Amino acid sequence: MKLSDEARRVLETSMRINKTGDAERREIEDVIARMPDDRVLLYKNVVSNPIGDLPRYSIHIRIQHMLTFVTFLMLAFTGLPIAFFGHYWAEPLNSVLGGVDVTRIIHRTLAAAMIFAMVYHIITIILGTAIKLKNKTFELKRSIIPTLKDARDFKHDLLYFAGKLDQRPEMDKFMYKQKLHYFAAAFGNFVMVISGSSFLFPEFWASILPASIASYFQEMMRLSHPHEALLALLVIAFWHWYNVHLAPGRFPMQWTFLTGKITREHQIEEHFLEYLRCLVEIPSERKELLEMLAARELDQLDNTGAQGAQSQ
Amino acid sequence: MANNKKKHLTIFGLLVIALTCLSQPAFAFEDDEGCLLCHKYPKMGRITEDGTRRSYYVMPHVFGETVHRNVPCTGCHNYIKQLPHRPVKEGVTCNTECHSIKNPATGKNFSHQPIYDKYEQSSHFRPKLAEGHDQDKPYCVTCHRNPIYNPQETEAPKHITNRCVVCHEDKNFVETWYKHTSRRIKDIKRSSRDIVALCSSCHGDKRLIERHLKAAKAEGRELGRKYPKAAESYKNSFHGKVTGYGFKEAANCLDCHADASNYYLSVHNLKPSRDPASPVSDGNRLNTCKRCHTYADENYAALDPHPTSGKEDNPFSYYANLIYGWVGDVVFLALIALAAFETVGRRRDGVGWRLWHGSSWWRPSKRGRDRVE
Repeated sequence: MKLSDEARRVLETSMRINKTGDAERREIEDVIARMPDDRVLLYKNVVSNPIGDLPRYSIHIRIQHMLTFVTFLMLAFTGLPIAFFGHYWAEPLNSVLGGVDVTRIIHRTLAAAMIFAMVYHIITIILGTAIKLKNKTFELKRSIIPTLKDARDFKHDLLYFAGKLDQRPEMDKFMYKQKLHYFAAAFGNFVMVISGSSFLFPEFWASILPASIASYFQEMMRLSHPHEALLALLVIAFWHWYNVHLAPGRFPMQWTFLTGKITREHQIEEHFLEYLRCLVEIPSERKELLEMLAARELDQLDNTGAQGAQSQ
Repeated sequence: MANNKKKHLTIFGLLVIALTCLSQPAFAFEDDEGCLLCHKYPKMGRITEDGTRRSYYVMPHVFGETVHRNVPCTGCHNYIKQLPHRPVKEGVTCNTECHSIKNPATGKNFSHQPIYDKYEQSSHFRPKLAEGHDQDKPYCVTCHRNPIYNPQETEAPKHITNRCVVCHEDKNFVETWYKHTSRRIKDIKRSSRDIVALCSSCHGDKRLIERHLKAAKAEGRELGRKYPKAAESYKNSFHGKVTGYGFKEAANCLDCHADASNYYLSVHNLKPSRDPASPVSDGNRLNTCKRCHTYADENYAALDPHPTSGKEDNPFSYYANLIYGWVGDVVFLALIALAAFETVGRRRDGVGWRLWHGSSWWRPSKRGRDRVE
């Protein structure tokens, strides 16, 4: 495979960061040379364990996801019947957990747990980044920070799904969907915490804000809390759960949130640049890939003719 | 002989049972005036000129359990001087002085006049026979029925009254005063939810509000800014929502609009918020808020406890709500569209839904480049 400029830069950076020796470098270059140019053939043919093959999320991120996931659903379950009081479904839903005297306590306790998850996440991110910066291993493009490339990837992906392009974009560890979702969730959490605290401590917010905006602020928070909750629920139900459960290829479930590992075919398909890093960082992955290429007669160096014919 | 005795006892027993079952319930109040001669009949009533069905039936066994059970009928219906009586024009007014019950504190005839005087000063006041828009206002019986006397207890607890009778030898006196006092000590006022429902029965009546808005406009009278949406906006507030679910600690209508320092008199003397005497007037509002929100300041008192999102009364909230709604709709539709688009694209590429282990790329792709098996 002839790597694109972007992929080449990622590979070189990874080898530099990992202080890859010459022998290993030759081995990596050999594996890449044997990979078919058509990435579609690569991710369609690799052997994948649905539980996950390659590392993706640390235990901290998984705990934070679990905390956010459980608290978010329970917060929605206890909060929406209060916000949408008067709807036919609200009272039965509220009664299931013992009425408002109980649900308001559950709601506030879970809110505290959700804030804990947020703080835990922020600390993890800051410390993780600080360590990488200190070790000079930090790569901005490997992080969740959005770049212009994400917009290009989104356009590219739409064209691919429309049948106008032959390959999906070469995306990094976090693709445009994940970045959008992450920052939407971060913004949503922020809004929910601020607006929720304005219900719990209205006197505090009124006292620290100028008189001219205190009333508007409270009004805005009163609207924001249920609207943002509903918006988050829609995004989770119709997009996040689609992406991790219902999308063809992800069904019935991606196990990443539990195992911290991503399947090989998924990594190559949607996070090809990260897969290149895996080839550098995990020697066994190179062996695995070479065996697959040989077994399926996809080795570019051995069988360029067959490879070319199939990619037509 | 023994058989005959047994037979007589059986017949006597059956007679006792039959008499017990067939007898009418004893009236708990004295009907010395003979009103029940006619009013005991369930079908006693008439249809008025405007078609309203009026029942004049008095259920003696129920009335006998109410707080007014010791008041003779003519104590309130004092316009009745003869039987059969003449057609009633005004009916009972609640400020009538009662000649049969004495106020034990003053020795004077009992009357609801003091509380009626307060009611007369309130913005709710109307005469018994009101005309025009005043008819929409509540009279005493709009809020107060004739409640059952001390519904919590059928008998005064002996472990308490036994102590009283040491000095107060008359057991009936002790029992009566125990019930009278205990009923007032116990929390017998309406629940928050009931108070909201009662106030909303008028303030949430759109036709009534419409009538009053028109009348006030025609007469050049001022009405409160929140008057048209008082009940609706309260129900949408945080206080309203949790109170609606039966939560007891959030403010109901009277917690703010009545003076807590003299609650029971004040609820009969409610004032509009523009009246300086109102607990929610500009001058009193902060102190009213502070009753629950200890750390409230002037900024806090300026917050709107009756939030509305109408274009006219709160354009900020209206447009914020509108934008939120649009964002929600657009996001929802966009995500569904994106998911559907991706599903079609991926399916065409040869990926499918597979429950068990193995590659997802098991379907033949319309774009070629299939998995090598």
